[in-house]
Amino acid sequence: MTQLSRREFAALAAGAAAAPFALTQTPAAAAALTARELLERITAQIGVTWKADTVDGLKVGDPSTVVTGVATTAMATLAVLQQAVKAGANVVISSQPTFYAKADTRTPPAPRGPGGGPPPAGPPAPPPPAGPPDAVFTAKNAFVDQHKLVVIRLHDHWKLREPDPQAVGLARAMGWTKHQVAGDPKRYDVAPLTVDALVGAIAKNLGAAGGIRVVGDPKTSVRKIGLLPGSTPLQASLKLMPEVDAIVAGEVREWESVEYARDQVAAGHKKALILIGRVLSEDPGMQACADWLKTVVPGVPVRHIAVGDPYWRPA
Amino acid sequence: MKAGEIVDRIKKQLGVPWRDATYRDTFKSGGPDTEVTGIATSAFVTIDVIRKAAAAGLNMIIPHEDTFWNDRDDQAVVADDAVYQQKLALLTKHNIVVFRIHDHMHAQRPDFTYVGSARAIGLDPKHEDPPGSHRFVIPETTLAALAADITRHSGARALRVVGDPKARISRIRLGVGYASPPINPSDIDVLISGEQQESDGTFDSQPYALDAVTAGVVKGIILLGHTISEEAGMLEMAQWIKGFVPEIPVQLVKAEEPMWSPTSR
Repeated sequence: MTQLSRREFAALAAGAAAAPFALTQTPAAAAALTARELLERITAQIGVTWKADTVDGLKVGDPSTVVTGVATTAMATLAVLQQAVKAGANVVISSQPTFYAKADTRTPPAPRGPGGGPPPAGPPAPPPPAGPPDAVFTAKNAFVDQHKLVVIRLHDHWKLREPDPQAVGLARAMGWTKHQVAGDPKRYDVAPLTVDALVGAIAKNLGAAGGIRVVGDPKTSVRKIGLLPGSTPLQASLKLMPEVDAIVAGEVREWESVEYARDQVAAGHKKALILIGRVLSEDPGMQACADWLKTVVPGVPVRHIAVGDPYWRPA
Repeated sequence: MKAGEIVDRIKKQLGVPWRDATYRDTFKSGGPDTEVTGIATSAFVTIDVIRKAAAAGLNMIIPHEDTFWNDRDDQAVVADDAVYQQKLALLTKHNIVVFRIHDHMHAQRPDFTYVGSARAIGLDPKHEDPPGSHRFVIPETTLAALAADITRHSGARALRVVGDPKARISRIRLGVGYASPPINPSDIDVLISGEQQESDGTFDSQPYALDAVTAGVVKGIILLGHTISEEAGMLEMAQWIKGFVPEIPVQLVKAEEPMWSPTSR
């Protein structure tokens, strides 16, 4: 830590009262850091101009909470929060929402009638009946309150950092770091392997359960791999697919990139698209986030907690 | 018979007013003056579907979904892509006319996508409660057994489930295609849908189902995939069109499920 803000210095000084000469990092000094100050340090050091319109920021908890430990994760699920508490962390940095919507509020959204797409021209369907309080929201809120947890969302700005930490993290988890195409964290040239073998390696390295889905011939040989972690639009696939043999992506729209990949194959191109799921694709990037945060708040225990693959398939 | 005449008959038979504001339900290839030899309905106008339709002597394709890999079928988005050029050449070569039916298919009663989806996954219409609600109350079973049943019925190779496999369930909400109703209302145990954004939507049912497992609340979501979810209803669509276009062949030409999963092989 080279430059201390006045507030950071005051925080450290407060810690120093209990532990003299605590300007070197000690647990006592670290313990004086509040969640608000943690967020301020992230904002100041992330290397990307903080946006006015963003999903990032404090979502849950009291900003004046003193940080005992930080856990990063792709998604602050209830299971992840439980593991964080067990590990002594009371601040969770999550790539995805805590409360099941982009709005990320602690109460369920207003119910809407059944059906998607445009409103039917016929008589409107009756709204779902009002039921008892939402048991899942209730359980999560209770856990958060009981353990005085703070959840900070860090998504928009984390993925804007360069080099792309989600791609770099995913590549590291796959053991491809040394195969990176110079200057492009999204591209890796590996020793040739089949799509089938690649899928097996992904399942093993990322701990996938039922979430992997593939477009393409299992026997297609792959040497050039492109990474699209997170959720990406058609444009990302259009740009990357011609440059690689296979794309490993988190989540895409099926009517966009899945159909594009299918047509690539039907048109005679030896290509594959491997979808691993958004959460599974972002957890390695949140491991990278934990590594970075250790440099932002030295002395504060920081660890990564993986969500794991949410999906399974029937036997 | 010209394509325009077929579209006019569809509009006339639909039973609900045609909304000219739709950007989806329009010609994507060819136009009203294209002479039609036969009609293929499908979920998607894939390269493979174009070839199969042409081989069957059908040069009008009526898909539920897009042709050029984006919802608006904006060809400027894909103009520089080599596969787009190949697809365009194939459409031209076989004089294919494409007219999409999406918004109006969902507005029609019944909405054939639901009828087809229920049939494809083995949901008995007599269990729909109340009728037309897309809510099914089936004899109690487990989420694992339901998912296995659905896999067997549909042949889906890339179906995904979130929830406790052992959870005892009976109340199902059937959604179709993309962005289904939320999973959280207390009157349903399981949401079945085609495709659902994993997070950052208006309601994220997969993360909710994941937390429900931890909280001991019975909830499951079964994601069929977009094509498995909506293609079956294109059979009903073909049969319906055949009823008022008796002059030429009309048939379902399946795009088929585009994906496989490692454990399905």
